[in-house]
Amino acid sequence: MQDLLYFSQQLINGLTIGSAYALIAIGYTMVYGIIGMINFAHGEIYMIGAYTALIAITGLTALGAAWLPLILIVALVCAMIVSSSMGWAVERVAYRPVRGRHRLIPLISAIGMSIFLQNYVHLAQGSRNIGFPDLIEGGFQFGSDDAFQMSLSYMQITIFITTLICMTALSLFISRSRTGRACRAVSQDLGMASLLGIDTNRIISATFIIGAALAAVAGLLLGMYYGSIDPLFGFIAGLKAFTAAVLGGIGSIPGAMLGGLILGVSESMTSGYLSGEYKDVVSFGLLILILLFKPTGLLGKPEVEKI
Amino acid sequence: MAANNYKHALFCAIVTLIISFPILGLNLEAEGVKITVTGAETSTHIAILLAAVVVFVFQAFRDSFMGALGKLPKLNPLVNKKPMEQSKRVKLESWIMTGLVVLALFWPFFVSRGSVDLATLVLIYIMLALGLNVVVGLAGLLDLGYVAFYAVGAYTFALLSEYLGASFWVALPAGALLAALFGLVLGFPVLRLRGDYLAIVTLGFGEIIRILLNNWTNLTGGPNGIGGIPDPTLFGMEFGRRVKEEGNTSFHETFGIAYSGEHKVIFLYLIALVLAVITALVIRRFMRMPVGRAWEALREDEIAARSLGLSRTAVKLSAFTIGAFFAGFAGTVFASKQGFISPESFVFLESAIILAIVVLGGMGSQLGVILAAIAVTILPELAREFSEYRMLIFGAAMVLMMVWRPQGMLPMRRIHIKLKKQE
Amino acid sequence: MTISVKKLVTAVSASVALMAAGHAAAEIKIGVAGPITGPVAQYGDMQFSGTRMAIKRINEAGGVMGEKLVAVEYDDVCDPKQAVTVANRLVNDGVRYVVGHLCSSSTQPASDIYEDEGILMITPASTSPEVTSRGYELIFRTIGLDSMQGPVAGDYIASQNPEKVAVIHDKQQYGEGIATAVRDTLKDKGIEVAMFEGVTAGNKDFSSLITKLKQADVDYVYFGGYHPELGLILRQAEQANLDAVFMGPEGVGNNDINTIAGEAAEGLLVTLPPSFDEKEENQELVKDFEAANEDPSGPFVLTSYSAVKLIADGIEAADSKDPFDVAAALRSGTFETPIGTVEYDEAGDMKSFEFVVFEWHSDGSKTPVN
Repeated sequence: MQDLLYFSQQLINGLTIGSAYALIAIGYTMVYGIIGMINFAHGEIYMIGAYTALIAITGLTALGAAWLPLILIVALVCAMIVSSSMGWAVERVAYRPVRGRHRLIPLISAIGMSIFLQNYVHLAQGSRNIGFPDLIEGGFQFGSDDAFQMSLSYMQITIFITTLICMTALSLFISRSRTGRACRAVSQDLGMASLLGIDTNRIISATFIIGAALAAVAGLLLGMYYGSIDPLFGFIAGLKAFTAAVLGGIGSIPGAMLGGLILGVSESMTSGYLSGEYKDVVSFGLLILILLFKPTGLLGKPEVEKI
Repeated sequence: MAANNYKHALFCAIVTLIISFPILGLNLEAEGVKITVTGAETSTHIAILLAAVVVFVFQAFRDSFMGALGKLPKLNPLVNKKPMEQSKRVKLESWIMTGLVVLALFWPFFVSRGSVDLATLVLIYIMLALGLNVVVGLAGLLDLGYVAFYAVGAYTFALLSEYLGASFWVALPAGALLAALFGLVLGFPVLRLRGDYLAIVTLGFGEIIRILLNNWTNLTGGPNGIGGIPDPTLFGMEFGRRVKEEGNTSFHETFGIAYSGEHKVIFLYLIALVLAVITALVIRRFMRMPVGRAWEALREDEIAARSLGLSRTAVKLSAFTIGAFFAGFAGTVFASKQGFISPESFVFLESAIILAIVVLGGMGSQLGVILAAIAVTILPELAREFSEYRMLIFGAAMVLMMVWRPQGMLPMRRIHIKLKKQE
Repeated sequence: MTISVKKLVTAVSASVALMAAGHAAAEIKIGVAGPITGPVAQYGDMQFSGTRMAIKRINEAGGVMGEKLVAVEYDDVCDPKQAVTVANRLVNDGVRYVVGHLCSSSTQPASDIYEDEGILMITPASTSPEVTSRGYELIFRTIGLDSMQGPVAGDYIASQNPEKVAVIHDKQQYGEGIATAVRDTLKDKGIEVAMFEGVTAGNKDFSSLITKLKQADVDYVYFGGYHPELGLILRQAEQANLDAVFMGPEGVGNNDINTIAGEAAEGLLVTLPPSFDEKEENQELVKDFEAANEDPSGPFVLTSYSAVKLIADGIEAADSKDPFDVAAALRSGTFETPIGTVEYDEAGDMKSFEFVVFEWHSDGSKTPVN
C-alpha cells in the first residue's frame, strides 16, 4: 500500500511536469512540421511569458485586485499577448530572412536569438530568482495520517485541466478551422500550398503565434507550480520540451502530448527510485536512444528524403 | 498599397511596444521580503517609444528606403572589385598568416604579463575554433556539444597528473588522442542523424559528459574539480619559484637568472602558439587532401556525394574525430594554464561561444576564424564597462550575421586549379 | 608677460607631476577581486562595500606606515577562467595584496598564481578547505571553513535527537563540501542519515525529491547550497505537507529566500557567522556604513572589511611592505578586527571562527537559537 501510494505520487509529479512540457513542445513540433527548423528560441518565449504573467500578477495585486480568477485571467491574457508578439517578431526578424537557405543557417540564427532573448530579460529584470506568489493553494490528501500521504494539489489539477483544454482546442482548431486546414496543407507541401493560393507567410506566422501562446500558458502555470523564475529557466525547459517533441514524433501534436508525459514520468521515476542527480542524464539518454532507433519518434510519420 | 503599408507599419510599431514595454519598462524588484513592480526610469520609456516610432517610420517607408539603399554607391570597395585572382589570394592569405605568426612570436617579450596570459586564452580559442571549423564549417555537421571533447582533454591531463604524476608532455598527446577516441565512439552511432537532430544529440552528449564529470566525485572530485595541475616543463626544467617534482631543476636557477613569473607565462604562451600553428597547418593539409574535399562535398550535397561513392559515415566520422582531437589539445593547454579545472568551465555556453567564433569568422575559412577568435576574446576585455552586454551583442551578432552575411566575415573560397591554356 | 605665463605653466605642470609622483610612491595598492557582474554579483557587492569602507576609514586614520591605501577592483564573474585572467592582471598592475576571491572555484586557481608571484591574498568568503590545504605561505582567509560550519550544523541537529536525517546538496563545490561535513558529523554521533543526495543547481522541480523525503519519513533536512534551490524546496515541501525541519548554511541566509519561499521560510535554521554588525564594539562602524547608505549585515561585508584591516595591521606589525614578512607577522601576531580577535595557524586559517545557529523568519529577520 505504502509503495503503491509512493509510486502514484511520483506518477502524479511526473504527469504534472509532463503536461507542461507538452504545452511547450507544441511550439517546437508545429514549427518543425511546417518549416523544418528547430526554433531554439522557443524556451525563451516561454520564459518571457512567465515574466509577463508575474509582472501582471504583481501589478494587479498592487492595484488592489483581489478576485483570484480575474487576476489569473488577466495575467494569462497579458502573457499570451506578449509571448505571441514575441514569437511573431522573432520569426519576422530572425527566421523569415533566412528561410530556404542551408539548414544550418536558420538553426544558428535561432541559437543566436535564444542567447539574445535570455540576455535581454537578464539585463532588464536582473539575474536573481524571483518568487512567484502562491495563488492556488491546498489540495487533496490520500492515505492515513501516520504513514506516507499522497497529495494531489489544486495546482496540479489546474495544470492537468488547462493542458487538456488547450490540447483539445488546438486539435479542433487544426482539424476544423480554415486556418487549421491551411496549416496542415502547408506542412504537407509548402510549395504546393502556396500554388493553391494559401498565404504561406501568414500561416507560418500563425504557427509561431499559436506555439508562443501555448508556451505562455505553460509559463504562467509552471511559474506558479515551481514558485520562482529566472532568465535562464527557459533554456533547459525548452530543451526538455524539444526532447518531448522528438520523443513523440516531431510534427505530430498527439505525439508532443505523449512525448511530454513519457519524459515527465521517466524524470520523476529516475529521481524517485534512483537519484535526482541523474535526471537530466536519463532524459538526454532517452532522446539519444529514440533518435538512434526510431528517428521519427513514437507517433511520427517516416520521412522520405526528398531529392 | 500605401494604406496597406501604413497599416502594417502601425502593427509593427504596436508589436514593438508590446514586446518591449512589460519586460523593459516594468521592473520586478525585491523590496524586503515582497516582490514589487516599479516603472523603469523615464529615459527607458522614452527609448521604448522611440524604438516604436523608428519601427513605424522604417516599415511605412520601407520600399523607398530599400530603393534608396540600392541606389547608393557601394561603400565597400571590395564589393565592386573583381575577386582577386586565385593564386594571388592564396599567397596573400599565407603571407598574412606568416606575418601574424612572426608577430605573435616576438610580441610577448614586449608586453605585460596580463596581455600574454590573455593571448594564451585567445590561442586556446583559436585551436578550439579551428577544430570546430572542421566539423561545422567544412563537414557541415552542427556540433553543439563540442565542449565535451575540450573537457575530455582537460580532464585527461588533470587525472593523469593526479593519479599517475604525468607531465604536460605526456598528457598532451594522451588528452588529444582520448578526445579523438571519444569523438569516434560518440560519433559512430549519431552520425547517421540529419543536421538538426545531430545538433540536439551532440548538445545532449555535451551535457551528459558534464553531468557525469560533476557526479563522479570519487574520480573527478565532482564539483570540487582537480587542482595542482603542473605547468609544462622545458627539458625537465620547471618555471615555478620552487621545484615541485623531484629530479627536476628550476629554469631560473639553471640559467642563473632572477626568478620571474613572466617566464612561465611566456613559455606557456609559446607552447600554445606552436600548437595553434600546428593545428592550423594540419587542418590546412587535410583541406587539400581527398578527405577534406569529401567533407565539403558531403556538406554541399549529401545525396550527390553518396551517389559518387563516398561513405557517409567514414567521411563524417573523420571530421568529427579530427575536430575532437584538436579540442583535446586545447583542453590540455587550458588545464595547464588554469592549474585547476572543474566542470563549470565546460558548460553549453562555452560551446555556443566557440560556435559563434566559427560562424562570425566565416565557416570554413581559417584566417577568418582566427581573426574572429581574437575579436571575440579581446573585445570584452577592452570594453569591460560593456561586459554585461557582451552576450546580448553576441546573440544579436549571430542573428544579424546569418541574415546579412551567412558566409561570415572572411568567407572561404574554394581552392581550385585551372588547367593552363595550351600555347 | 608671455614668458612669465609660460614659466607659470611649466612650474604648475612640474609641481603637479611631482605631486602625482609623490602620491604614487606613497600608495599601497589593495586588489579587490570578486564578482561585479554575473549570477552571484549580490555577494560581490557585500565584498566591495566592506573593502571600500575599510580603506576609507584606514586612510582617514592616517593610512599605513604613513601611506594611503588604494583599492583596485577587478571583476572575475566567479568564473575560474576569468579569475586566472584577473590574477595575471593583478600581477601586471603591481598589486601585492589581494582581498578575494569570492567563489572557492575562482580562489583556488588564482591563489596558485598569487603564491608563485609573492602576492598576499586574504579571501573573505571562500570556505572550501582546499584553498588553504596546499601548504601555501601567502594565502589566508577571514572566514570559517566548510569543515567548521558543517560540524556546527551537525552538532545542532544531533542535539535535537532526531530519528532520521536527510542531507541534500546542490552538487557544487560549496554545497557538497558542507553537506559532506554535516553527514560525517551526524554519522559520528550515531544518527541515521537516511538520504544523501544531490540536486541540480538551477533546477526548479523538486516534487520527486520531496516525495522521497516524505517516504523516508525524516525529521530534519540539511541542505548544502544556495537560496534559489532551498527556497523552492521549502515552498514545494510545504505544499506537499512534508513535516520536517530544514537547515542550511550561510549561502541561504538572505532575504531572497523569503521572496521565494514566503511563509514556508518560517522556522528555517541557518548557520551563520555571528552577526558582527550587532556586536557592541562595532556600533560605530555600523553607523559609518549606514551613513554611507550601505548595509553592513551581509555575511561577507565585515569579513571583507577585516581582510583589509588585517593587511594594514600586518604591514604595521611587520614594519615591512614585503608580503612574505607580512605573512609571517600575520601568523605570529594577534589582531583585533570587527570579526573578533584573529590568530592564524600555519595553514592560514583562523584558529577560531565561530558559527552560530539562527532561526529564520518569514519577514526576513533572524533570531539566534540556543
